[in-house]
Amino acid sequence: MQQMKRLLVVYVALQALFALSWCFSDAEPGPAAGSQSNGDRFKIEGRAIVPGVKTQDWISTARILVEGEEYVGFLKTDGSFAVNDVPSGSYVVEIVSPSFRFDPVRVDITSKGKMRARLVNYIKTSEVIRQPYPLQIRSSGPHTYFMKRETWGWTDFLMNPMVMMMVLPLLIIVLLPKVVNTNDPEMRKEMEQSMNMLNPNPELPDVSEFMTKLFSKGSSKSSGGNKGSRSVAPKRSDTMCTSRPAQGGDVDPNSVSYTYLK
Amino acid sequence: MAWLVVRLAISVSLLYTASAVFEDQVGKFDWRQQFIGKVRFALFDTHSQASKKLLVATDKNVFASLNSRTGDLFWRHVDKIGPEGHIDALLMYGQDAVVVTGNGRLLRSWETTVGGLKWETVLDTGRLFMLFCVNIRINWCIKLTVSTFDHSFQAAALVGVQDFVKYVAVLKKSAISLHDLSSGSQIWVENLPDSDTVQYQTIYSGGNGLVFVFGVVPNSHIVIVEYKIEDGEIMRKKSVEAAWMSSLESSCTVISSGILLCVDQITQSLYTLQLQSAEQTEIRQIHLQTLDLEVASGFQPVLTSTQPNPAQPPLSEFFLQLSPDHHILLQLKDGLIAPLRDFNPSYLAAFATSGERTVAAVMSPKNDTACSINLFSADTGRRHLDTTIIYHMDPNGGKPNRLYVHAFLKKDDSVGYRVMVQTEDLTLTFLQQPGRVVWVREEALADVVTMEMVDLPFTGTQAELEGEFGKKADGLLPMVLKRLSSQFILLQAWLAHLWKLFYDARKPRSSVKNEVTIDTLSRDEFNLQKMMVMVTASGKLFGIDSKSGTILWKQYLENIQPDSVFKLIVQRTTAHFPHPPQCTLLIKNKDTGLGNLYVFNPIFGKKSQISVPALPRPVLQTLLLPVIDQDYAKVLLLIDDQYKVTAFPSTKNVLQQLQDTASSIFFYLVDSSQGKLSGFRLRKDLSTELIWEVVIPTEVQKIVAIKGKRANEHVHSQGRVMGDRSVLYKYLNPNLLAVITESTDTHQERSFVGIFLIDGVTGRIVHEAVQRKARGPVHFVHSENWMVYVYWNSKFRRNEFSVLELFEGAELYNSTVFSSLDRPHPPQVLQQSYIFPAPISTLEATLTEKGITSRHLLVGLPSGNILSLPKMFLDPRRPEVVSEQSREENLIPYAPEMPIREEWFINYNQTVSRIRGIHTAPSGLESTCLVVAYGLDIYQTRVFPSKQFDVLKDDYDYVLISSVLFGLFFATMISKRLAEVKLLNRAWR
Repeated sequence: MQQMKRLLVVYVALQALFALSWCFSDAEPGPAAGSQSNGDRFKIEGRAIVPGVKTQDWISTARILVEGEEYVGFLKTDGSFAVNDVPSGSYVVEIVSPSFRFDPVRVDITSKGKMRARLVNYIKTSEVIRQPYPLQIRSSGPHTYFMKRETWGWTDFLMNPMVMMMVLPLLIIVLLPKVVNTNDPEMRKEMEQSMNMLNPNPELPDVSEFMTKLFSKGSSKSSGGNKGSRSVAPKRSDTMCTSRPAQGGDVDPNSVSYTYLK
Repeated sequence: MAWLVVRLAISVSLLYTASAVFEDQVGKFDWRQQFIGKVRFALFDTHSQASKKLLVATDKNVFASLNSRTGDLFWRHVDKIGPEGHIDALLMYGQDAVVVTGNGRLLRSWETTVGGLKWETVLDTGRLFMLFCVNIRINWCIKLTVSTFDHSFQAAALVGVQDFVKYVAVLKKSAISLHDLSSGSQIWVENLPDSDTVQYQTIYSGGNGLVFVFGVVPNSHIVIVEYKIEDGEIMRKKSVEAAWMSSLESSCTVISSGILLCVDQITQSLYTLQLQSAEQTEIRQIHLQTLDLEVASGFQPVLTSTQPNPAQPPLSEFFLQLSPDHHILLQLKDGLIAPLRDFNPSYLAAFATSGERTVAAVMSPKNDTACSINLFSADTGRRHLDTTIIYHMDPNGGKPNRLYVHAFLKKDDSVGYRVMVQTEDLTLTFLQQPGRVVWVREEALADVVTMEMVDLPFTGTQAELEGEFGKKADGLLPMVLKRLSSQFILLQAWLAHLWKLFYDARKPRSSVKNEVTIDTLSRDEFNLQKMMVMVTASGKLFGIDSKSGTILWKQYLENIQPDSVFKLIVQRTTAHFPHPPQCTLLIKNKDTGLGNLYVFNPIFGKKSQISVPALPRPVLQTLLLPVIDQDYAKVLLLIDDQYKVTAFPSTKNVLQQLQDTASSIFFYLVDSSQGKLSGFRLRKDLSTELIWEVVIPTEVQKIVAIKGKRANEHVHSQGRVMGDRSVLYKYLNPNLLAVITESTDTHQERSFVGIFLIDGVTGRIVHEAVQRKARGPVHFVHSENWMVYVYWNSKFRRNEFSVLELFEGAELYNSTVFSSLDRPHPPQVLQQSYIFPAPISTLEATLTEKGITSRHLLVGLPSGNILSLPKMFLDPRRPEVVSEQSREENLIPYAPEMPIREEWFINYNQTVSRIRGIHTAPSGLESTCLVVAYGLDIYQTRVFPSKQFDVLKDDYDYVLISSVLFGLFFATMISKRLAEVKLLNRAWR
């Protein structure tokens, strides 16, 4: 029993000396690696780095959060930090800054104060990918809070399906009459045939034709007073243009007579 | 591969649901105000003449640097909540500020220009004691470590040697330590003698190589211990008889070259004691009567001295406060105390030093609404000419209670000064001569307890238009005439508006300011601008314009207990013109439970003249009924601890209506100490009867939170269309209560969180869920047919979201009306859980006018960001395997981890510190939800959960559209002309 007591006393004394040595190293300035045992409370240390940015530009808005706001630390002017009074356990250490993004790190502290840092993995929580300790947390750049506005460009405009749908037929309209000689009688015959194919029932009045006739009558009446009798001929070709745009922009006088003969 | 598919699906769905901020929208409809809290320490940087720094430490554990010219923050550091982050002392020397935090746990030195930490030291004296005693005697030592565990902070002081401040000394209950100012390293630490009997309270150093520690044994004697700075050796220790002494802190101070001065109310005397002379062991008593002074009865007199430089002894002048409004400036000369100037009446007095000159500023009442502050030279008590500052007291505010003076030397070597006045209602006012208010900070807003958003009233014309629809027909012709006249009024208003626009356009831009005042307040066309009524913990009410953040009215309610419970109820909105809107605030004392009502107009902040029922018994529950009285005010029922009901307003009309509807009015009460939930029904005579009772045994679990659904919430669709075109109907029970319990056993293997969904009318438990190996704090949202809650999974050490959705099934039981009493089928409950890769501070859901817009969850994070998370991600029907039907339904495949994207942070870099609550309110636009986040800061913004589908977008390209239109127009004109020419030519051919 006596021996037990003595052992206990020696143990306590050793423990105390241990604490003393730690405390003295704590008091020393400079980067003291490792943890300082304060009772059963420990210290998480590390350094945050934002490449290319001076520390004084961002440290005043940044904080170190351990497991939410359970433990809070602040950054020193050289970018290093220490969070005091953390009991043993496993914690997610995060540097929060409104301007820069830092990846969180999980720090495990054993009951003896041994520290280990690893990547945070919420799905496989036991997976260990070691990170350096004392922590070296490098910023991965500024936050991207904003969505990009859709800017208007010519390529967007041209690649728009609606525009494509409009432009392609236009090209056909312009180019086709140039390629195909419409004055060739054989060709004309062929076209007439295809026209008849399109209009399977010649007796049935074409709706568009009917409409154009209706409107051209009205408009010719109103414009007739202004322009006199001569304006009748142009009006006719006008109707032609609207009713059969597919035949080509270049209006053929023969085709006009054809329509009216029908 | 499957993972890739999931990713793809998520990214595709994001295209539809993203509600992000665009960079050009910054500050367009959002604003943030930052606060610090009640100032406990404030120090002006007197180091250089041009410095604008004002260092403050507050009761919210905030240490900040303010710009004294504008009142804005240079930087701010927010420490942990609670006693561990409590700032005990703030000292400043040169560019550095030394802060003692956490009841003497940490000593920090801050670089004040940058706002970064210079060094940080743990003041771990408890452990160090042990090693001191190890050398002496071991057995005693073990006992000591236990007994010295309590080392609470007492005082801290800067210590100078030979005109140069090098150290900081920290006094704790049983130890004193000295630290180097440049590195924070500990020079020495000493155990205080007899610390178990003597209460050591203050510390003093006069720059002569010694540190004095003062302790007191109440009603017995004072102990003075003298330490040598170099090595902490005790030079001298003496105890002086002082039977009248109970506490040193407020009644004693050191003046002149080391003279301890104390004041005592009972003996009506001043006491002086030479510190350094060995011969004087008796304290000298000076009766106040000999100075023709008297301490007001019941008032603890206060001594205020000043030590301009810590390396030099303090001045021999000091203030003695004899009553709340009586100060006197006294001087100690050749061992005699002589009054220099008597300030009667005077509210506040403070010393300030600039260079070699020390002045005293005294605030005295001028008239009922104003105070005057004057400057006096400290050594003579003479008044400085032309130094009066008039301070106008806010009639709706509190009395001034702290005065901070910033003195500076002017070019002509006279002393100029600025003052910062703190009032009871936590307003900080910074004034300069001759009384110009430089800035005002309303620090009560750092602690918002509850808030409401109230619609703004209509203007006269708008009201006229509204009135037209309100009245029923007087015949066709008058109605037509009325219509025409109101249209004419509108036209007139529009013309006036145009004229104003034109008029303003000619003026330079800077002079055109849209000042919002209480008189120009009116509802905008989309009802986006509202009045934010905020209730703060200090008992000050604010009315804030939601568009600009301007405080439009404020009202300080006096005699509010520090931790009262507030409940704000909107009884009448602005919709009932000409009746003014009406808000009722129930203030409940936390200890006694007694409450009282404060009725006011939320737009103007004026107290209403309506008579308020007296509440003699503690209020247990309040209930806002949809029943309205003849003045369109909703009826508020207050239930007291004898289950008696008081109605407010309680007119005959209301009582009649209550009697008619009494059988359908139910309410519930929660007693979390007994784990009892009980439901009551109202009787015709306004008594109540118990209908149901649910007991949740308190040995196992305790009720931590209970929430119903929001009354102003609309659900647009009754069900969800499934992939096979059938409809899954929602279980929309308006009486459903969500009850959250936590286990009393906190062991991580056995702790759990319980969720009960209880019908508030019948007491039927609709659903019950237990989340094992989980603990709180639980944040949850209960809305529509779903409930989302967040808990901490203690096994995997992560936060998890869980969603519960209730469905009736493919058929509705009663599609016309919902009755809790007639529900034969229990609802189908679907649940799914997800990992949330971040801690959470608060949770709320968006709310829109008609509930058509998809919902988002607003998650407040400890980093200060607010995440807008689409509810789509929290859908228990998210399939694990993608099928044709689920794709048709637009369901995102299940993924365990919830994504957090920075684009979803609705407040970008405008972080809200210590976010405590988020308030959401619908606007007039269906797409838009107004959001106010409050905590230490206040942030207001608008969110568009389904994008802005009902208004043109901000980036709507007017230029492109109009240029295309004009282009087409001209193209047709030109081509028409060309065609005509061509035809003409052809006709001639």
